[in-house]
Amino acid sequence: MTDLTASTPLAVPRAATKFPRWATLGILFGLLSTAAIALYGPIGVSGTYPRFVGALFRRVLPEYAAANPYLVKMGSLLTPETMLVVGLLIGGFVAAQLGSARAPALETVHAGETTPGRRYRDAFLGGLFILFGARLAGGCTSGHIISGITQLAVSGVLFGAAVFGSGMLTARIIKGGR
Amino acid sequence: MSLVYALLVGIAMGVLIQRVGASSPAMILRSLRLQDLTIIKFMATTIAVGTVGVYVLSTFLPMHLDIKPTYLIGVIAGGLIFGIGFAVGGYCPGTCVVGIGERRKDAWFALLGGITGALLFTLVYSLIEAPLLKPFNYGKITLADLVHAPAVVVAIGLAAVLLTAVTLLPTVRARNGEARSSQV
Repeated sequence: MTDLTASTPLAVPRAATKFPRWATLGILFGLLSTAAIALYGPIGVSGTYPRFVGALFRRVLPEYAAANPYLVKMGSLLTPETMLVVGLLIGGFVAAQLGSARAPALETVHAGETTPGRRYRDAFLGGLFILFGARLAGGCTSGHIISGITQLAVSGVLFGAAVFGSGMLTARIIKGGR
Repeated sequence: MSLVYALLVGIAMGVLIQRVGASSPAMILRSLRLQDLTIIKFMATTIAVGTVGVYVLSTFLPMHLDIKPTYLIGVIAGGLIFGIGFAVGGYCPGTCVVGIGERRKDAWFALLGGITGALLFTLVYSLIEAPLLKPFNYGKITLADLVHAPAVVVAIGLAAVLLTAVTLLPTVRARNGEARSSQV
């Protein structure tokens, strides 16, 4: 279990050992997502990527940035969502620092990932597909699945079903790495 | 003020994602292979608590709801494409950022891939908008609209279903004693 505990640090001691950790963390996340909707709006992440692309274009090709309907639609990086993404970076850093176990710099997840380069390739390709898909659907795990289903959005339910259906099938086709 | 709230929510969310193990690609793959349902149960619990919280609060507080539109082709095709990437890389758009925070090297490649994917979408947007995003757009519909019931009732019903499922289903399914990934 050594490498497993590295990715799921057990630093937080729990008094009630019977109550599962995922349930405690899930309740906290549920309260957090409720608080976000009460304070400013539902959590979301993936819109930040095209806004970042837009910010780059406005630096190097301002005419294109002004003419591309999607970049115009998504607007500037000065949104709560960008701040949330900055927060994710800080939160990941803080939690890793406070935790007892260090996250592995690299985990292989498929049998074909025999070198770090191949793992990086899979991470890159995966990133490309998730962002293209998320922008096509209008949201990702946070915006569509967590916030969407929380608000009872039909789009969130459909997106979630499609993601897990296709993800489970793909994982099965690729075959597990050991 | 929204910017400050969002930053604080992001920090807390990053901590929770890291602690539950959702920023670990190996954990994501174990979820998709149904070997370890920790992340799925975490998400289901989050939604159960959130949906009741939001719709109970909304009966006596103004809430900043923002329902995303249901345009069938884009939402479903996007989800299918997302699922492929989810299984190939083991990251989602938020967890790779958390992963960078906890110094995972491959998370940087997922982020770069993400920026590339967003760039590709930006480039093809005007081509796919009419065929994929405009048709079959049912607008901002909710499950409550579908069943013609008050949202708070549907929220409590959904939460009951989710919490029953996470309680009854096993969390870890050991297969021949070993169901985990190795490190490089």
